[in-house]
Order: sequence, then structure tokens, then C-alpha cells
Amino acid sequence: MAETLTIHIDGRTLVAQSGETVLQVAKRNHIAIPTLCHDERLDAAGCCRACLVEIDGQRRLQPACNWPVSKELRVQTSSPRVQRHRATLLGLYVADHRLDSDGLPVHTTQGNDLRSLAQGIEFKRLLSIDSPRHPRGVDANPYIAYDPDLCILCARCTRYCDEVEAVSAISLAWRGAETSIATAGDRGLLDTSCELCGGCVDVCPTGAMHAKQAPRFEKPEAVQKVRTTCNFCGVGCQLDLNVQEGKIIQVTAPPPGETVNDGNLCVKGRFAYGFVHHDDRLRTPKIRGADGELHDATWDEALHYAAKGLLGVRDRHGPHALGFVSSSRCTNEENYLVQKLARAVFQTNNVHQCAAT
Amino acid sequence: MQRKGAQREGILQQLADMGGASTAAVAQVAKQTGVPEADVWGAGLFYGLLRRDPQNTLVCNGLSCRIQGAEQLRHQLTEQGVATQSVACLGLCDVAPAAVGPALLPLPACDQPAHVLPNNPDLPINLGGERDRSYRGLGAALKLGADAVIAELQAAGLQGRGGAGFPAHLKWRSVRNQTDPTRYVVCNADEGEPGTFKDREVIRRQPDKLLEGLAIAAHVVQATEIYIYLRGEFERERRILQSAIDDACHGPLAGLQFHIVRGQGAYVCGEETALLESLEGRRGMPRLKPPFPTERGFRNKPTLIHNVETLACVPDIALRGGVRFASLGRREPGAKLYCISGHVQRPGVYELPLGVSLDELVACAGGYVGTPQAFSPGGASSGFLPMSERSRPLDFASLGQVGAMLGSAGAVVLNDTADLVLAVHWQLSFFEHESCGQCAPCRLGSRWVRQALDRYLASGDPGELSDVLDVAWEMNEGSICGLGQVASLPLTSAMQHFPEQFGRRPVTQEHHHG
Ligand SMILES: Cc1cc2nc3c(=O)[nH]c(=O)nc-3n(C[C@H](O)[C@H](O)[C@H](O)COP(=O)(O)O)c2cc1C
Ligand code: SF4
Repeated sequence: MAETLTIHIDGRTLVAQSGETVLQVAKRNHIAIPTLCHDERLDAAGCCRACLVEIDGQRRLQPACNWPVSKELRVQTSSPRVQRHRATLLGLYVADHRLDSDGLPVHTTQGNDLRSLAQGIEFKRLLSIDSPRHPRGVDANPYIAYDPDLCILCARCTRYCDEVEAVSAISLAWRGAETSIATAGDRGLLDTSCELCGGCVDVCPTGAMHAKQAPRFEKPEAVQKVRTTCNFCGVGCQLDLNVQEGKIIQVTAPPPGETVNDGNLCVKGRFAYGFVHHDDRLRTPKIRGADGELHDATWDEALHYAAKGLLGVRDRHGPHALGFVSSSRCTNEENYLVQKLARAVFQTNNVHQCAAT
Repeated sequence: MQRKGAQREGILQQLADMGGASTAAVAQVAKQTGVPEADVWGAGLFYGLLRRDPQNTLVCNGLSCRIQGAEQLRHQLTEQGVATQSVACLGLCDVAPAAVGPALLPLPACDQPAHVLPNNPDLPINLGGERDRSYRGLGAALKLGADAVIAELQAAGLQGRGGAGFPAHLKWRSVRNQTDPTRYVVCNADEGEPGTFKDREVIRRQPDKLLEGLAIAAHVVQATEIYIYLRGEFERERRILQSAIDDACHGPLAGLQFHIVRGQGAYVCGEETALLESLEGRRGMPRLKPPFPTERGFRNKPTLIHNVETLACVPDIALRGGVRFASLGRREPGAKLYCISGHVQRPGVYELPLGVSLDELVACAGGYVGTPQAFSPGGASSGFLPMSERSRPLDFASLGQVGAMLGSAGAVVLNDTADLVLAVHWQLSFFEHESCGQCAPCRLGSRWVRQALDRYLASGDPGELSDVLDVAWEMNEGSICGLGQVASLPLTSAMQHFPEQFGRRPVTQEHHHG
């Protein structure tokens, strides 16, 4: 059972539960510790080194994301030593990144955590590092692309693919400064176990993993996020439509911990939004006329027409001549209404749901 | 995530058996084992021996080999029509310039026995003596009982010989006291530190002492399975070790299971937690500590990991007592295997009191060749020291005081024909090449520092080195493991002790465009 204890961060005495990490306690108390490789859903990797803090009794700086609290633990998150570490570490990251004309890591439509950090910390300016990642072959999949120049090798994508999705389509490959994110044999994602869920795109802190359909370098301020419910199935995942000038340019998952889907989406929810703005999209109900063509109708007309057809079958052949199948896109409530329509109105038990088989 | 039923542990050896991490081999291993294909690919590409062309002769590129003409050797071989490839280190610094053929056996020219001290039964390991297959130390240990053996280790003051110098008895006691009944003993025989070849020599000459030490350790910590992680290039040593195991497995080693697992060419796998990852069939990326291997190591179970030499000292401690072993040292306890190579007459492995000076060590090796200008006291990661330190005791504390370290006690001497700046460049390139790449301070820092030195060599302008100390500071503070923490020491130590060599530098043609 978790035990309540107190720890001390930057001189503040804080309540913690055994089993928590220093980072969790700090976050809850609004003590800012930068992170790049951290994701609550994943085991701590401690590899980005951004969250290193001073822990009393430890000779070396230690990652807050992985350090368990203990009774009366004393932690410094902004001592001169920690600050010098952050400034130099960030300098190295920046020296290895694609920069804009202000010498800051480029912004991307998805944001760029490295840029945000660099804007908040006076970092050490270093000459740029020439360290091309191992190149990646052509990948014909329509949704996900990898831009190695923006990759900071936090391995959130590979760990997510393994620990959350249990798919393991991608892995760290090669070694040292050549380390890269690869598929087996550098094949395109369509030829791997990848399910194209796009989680790697969402967890990427710098926009290296990105959605092919989306514009890459739109200013995040120019994009509005609209929270909605995915209409592809009954689970009810929440989506953030990223809207620019009335158009959806990308779909992202709300942050983990906020909604039922906990930051996850499937390929349909994330990438199959092309119909929204498509020219062929149906915008009104249609009824097929005597001429064999479909003609625009109002909802009232269409519903009456359908009801008339269903009632006609029932009157001519009895209620069991009818069967009702609801779509996998229906919610629980809609499914309930369909079976009620079948049973109470049409007096038949011939009702099914297409996802039930 | 460990897939149910997936057989991850053997994948690296399976790839090796199939000639390396080709796409076809990776696909087949994934299918056979149930390990995701991308994981097999990612793990395979981590390792040099799985990426090499299996037809190639490997020519060592390490410091000791370079100063003895590695480049000429490669040139010669190429002219003879031999396909070659240069590699970071082969663990054959005493017979430099070194090369091994496709089957990982040394070429005849560098296949001489190493120099060691003559037979002296007073020495704990006694490399020059008859091979000791008596297993008397094991007998003594069994009579003493576990707690008494640990007490002897403590009295012996035995410090780990793998580099960190951690007191052995603390690890033994910690593993012994874990509540989990499943424990493992692992031998670190990955010996990869450039300048170091002592473990190789123990296995060649006294393999039974190592096995005996492992058996004592297993009895004390109540383990029955023993894993020896052996450097992949040590093919001959593997055969020796295997036959020593076969000879004793029904006798003194009965009841213990020995497994030899071949390393696949990654220096970082000498780091104990990277070694465990590699044993489990993964990329050799060091783990975060805590938890320490003594609590959660191989397969997440309490694990005792020791260097070859540390273990080979144990039989003598059990047999003749810890106090006697301790008395063999000077300011620190025990005898120590020192490797010496570079510009000396008889490179070799000499078992001497812990705390001898460089001059004493080199005297054993027949003296200096030429006029020495610098030395590296304990392998590439210990940096360079000036000859004014030639009488400093080569022990953990004394070298620590000058920002160097004893490390694996692989001393290398450079005389004044060597260009120290180029020597530094080679060492930096080694660490850059061997970085596992998981943490930014090491992955980026080691490359940044090497590229700064490139710029200095190309322009001759010492201003190119002005940010080196800051980056080196961060590599030391921010890196996960010892590799990154010391990877710029060759440069910073040289800049500190040889400032005159880092002034404005004439630009050589070779580096002008480099
Ligand atoms: C980069 C790196 C490489 C290492 N290589 C070796 C090695 O080749 N052999 C070894 O015994 N220890 C090596 N070590 C030290 C091990 O991590 C570990 O401390 C040692 O195996 C423990 O055994 P000991 O207590 O007997 O020294 C290395 C450490 C680091 C950081
Ligand atoms: S310091 Fe280097 S070798 Fe060690 S974990 Fe970090 S990147 Fe890997």
C-alpha cells in the first residue's frame, strides 16, 4: 500500500506517495522540470537527460523521471549546477537540429518541444554538429513520415509502438551518432507490422515523425484545436481537429490522461478525415426517382419515404420479413434506439449490429 | 515489452551464425523466435561483428596499433589481395599492429604469446606458472562457508578489476542477502578497453582460476547458472574456456551450469548493464541505476557481475587468506595485472603490487623505446598524463587525484615520435564510434568534441577548442554511463598537461580538407 511521506524540492516541503517519482511530485506542485523523452504511458527511459536534478547524497545528477521518492528526500531542481547542465545540454541539442533564421529549432505544425525549451533557457551556443542519421529508404505509406534531421532520439515513438500498441514496427537502429529510427530492412511501413495508428506522430516532441497529409511548418498559433468525438465507431474517442481557415489540416489525440482514449487513436480516427472537405461528400439526403436518378430531398421527405417502404414490407409480408442492422459507427445509444425501433415499433427481434460478429 | 513465448536471448548468436544482420537473416530469426522483426533488426545493427562483411580480415585501428604501423599493415594486406576492414580495437595491443582473419583468429604475424612474469607461486594468478587445475581454492571456500568467504574478500580489500574498483565483498553480500531465491553470476569477459588485454591472458593461461572464482561466487550467492560474456573477437579464448569447462564439469564444477555468450562487437557492452541487455538479446544500451544488478540484473534477478581478473583472484584469497592477498599491494591492497603497450620493449601483462609506478612497470617490460613523452595509465578512458607523473603509484586513489584513473590498468606509452594531438584524435574517434547513442550528452558531445578537434587540425587555430571544456563538462555530468562521462578525457587531459601542444598548429595536407 502506498505510504504518505514528505520530500523537499527546492526547499519546499511537499507531500508524496511512495512509488511516485520526483517528477510526478514536482509536476503536481507546479515545479517546472523540463522533459523531452517522458510520457506517462511509457516506462521511464531517462535518456534525454533534460530532467536531471540534484539529489542529496547522490554524487551524480539523476533523472527526476525515474527517481523514486523516499522519506525526507531533498532535491534541487535549479541549482547552478543543474542550470549549467541544462544550458549546455540544450546547446548540444540545438547544435544538432534544423534551425530557423533566429537560430532556434524550427517550429512545426505539431509544435517542437526543443524550440519551446530553447525559448525559455539561455542556452550555450555551439557550432553545429554534422551528424546525419542513417538514411531511410522510400516509404509509400500515405500517412506517416520520418524526418531524421528533426529527430532527437528520445525513442518515444519506438517505445510507444512497443509498450502501448504492442506492435513494434519501428526500432532504434545503428549506434552512436548514426542512431536512427528504422523499420526492419528499412522497408516502408505498409510492409511491416505497422497499423498506421499514427501514435508515433503524436508522441514525437519535435515533429520528426509527422503526418504526410498535414502541412509541416504552419505556425501553431495559426491552428485552432477543436475537440470532438470520433464518428468512426462507438468507442467515443476524443479527437482534436486541427483547423486552419475553416479546414481540417490534421487530427491529433488529446493529451493522455484527459479522455477515454488516453492519447491514443486508430488509423481511421487520425487519418481518415479526407471525406470532410471532399467534393463527393453527400450534403443532403437523396431519394431515387422514377427516372432512376438520385434527387435531393429534405430529411422529412427521406424519412417518410423510408418509413413508407418499411411499413409496406411489414404489411405485405409480416414483421419478420424485416431485419435491422446498425452500423459499427453507431454509439451505444443509437444501437439502443435501433433495437427499440425493431422490437417496439416493428415487432420483430431481427436486429443486429455489424460489429457484433 | 516482452512478448509471451518470444525467445529473445539467443537472437544475436543466431544472427552471427547466419553471417550477420542481413534482411533475410533478420526475417528468419524473427520468425523462429517470435521477437518482432524491427527489434531483431535494431538489435543486430547495433553490433559491429553483425554488420561486418564475414569475408574480411579485421585490422585494428586502436592507438597502440596505429603507432606501430596499423595503416601500413592494412596497406600490405590489401596489396596481397586480402579484403580488410579497419576496426576500433581487437584486444591485441601487445602484438601491435594486430589483425584477425575472418574466423576471428589472429593472423600469424601477431600470434605470439604475450610477455608475462616468470613462474612465481606467490602471485595470486601467476600467469607465468603451470596451468593450475587443482581447484584447491574452491575446496577451501567450501570448507570456510559463505560468510567466511565474504569476510576474507573484505580482509583482502579486493576492488573490482573491471575499471570501477568497487569493493567486491559489498556486491557479494548484497546479492546473497536478496530475498529472491533465483540469482545469477555473470562474468564480464568483454575486455574492450583499448590498451587492455589482461583478461585475455588469464583465459589463455589460467582459465581454471577464473572458473574456480566463478564457482566460489556461485556457491556463496547461491546461484547455479553462470554466464560468461566473452568478447566476440576472443575466439581462441572461447575454445580454451569451453574445454576447461568440459574438463571440470563433472568434477569440481558439478552442479553448476556454465554458459559462454559471445559479444558481438560493441565496446559499451563491457558496461555491466549494457552487458545484461546484450545477454537478453537487445541493443547494448546501459540501464539506469538504481536498480543495481545486485538487486535486479540478468532477467531482472539479483546478479553478481565481476571482471575476469577479479574472479581469478578469488581462489587465492580463499586458499591463502585475505590478509595475505592484501599485503601484496602497496597503498592499496592486492596484486594487480598491469597491461603495458605502446613504445616499450616488451609489451605484456605483468602481475605486480597494486601501486607500482609507470617506471617500475616499464622496467618489467624491458624499458622504454625512444624518449617517452606521455602515457595513458589505464586504458583509453583514463586520458593522458605527462612523464612528470612517471613515478606516481598506479592505483585507484593516486590516479584519481590527478583526474585520471586506474581503470582496467591498460597503460600505453607514447614516445616523442608520436603526435599527441593525433593520438587524442584517435581516442576521441574511438569513443564516438562506440557510444551507444541513447543519451544526448555522449551521442552528440563525443561527436562535437571530435569535430572541434577536426577543425583545429584543419585550421591550426586553437580557438576551435574554446568550447571543448564546457561540452566535456556536460558529457561528464549528463551522460548515463561511464563511456560518455569520460569520452572527452583524452582531449581535456592532454590540453591540461600538454598546453604547448595545443597552440597554433601547422596545417598538414592530410587534415587540410578533413
Ligand atoms: C564503457 C564501459 C566499458 C566497460 N568495459 C568493461 C570491460 O570490458 N570489462 C570489465 O570487466 N568491466 C568493464 N566495465 C566496468 C563494468 O561496468 C563493471 O564495473 C565491472 O564489470 C564490474 O566488475 P568488477 O567489480 O569485477 O570490476 C566497463 C564500464 C564502462 C562504463
Ligand atoms: S553515455 Fe554514451 S554509451 Fe553510455 S548510455 Fe549514454 S550514449 Fe550510451
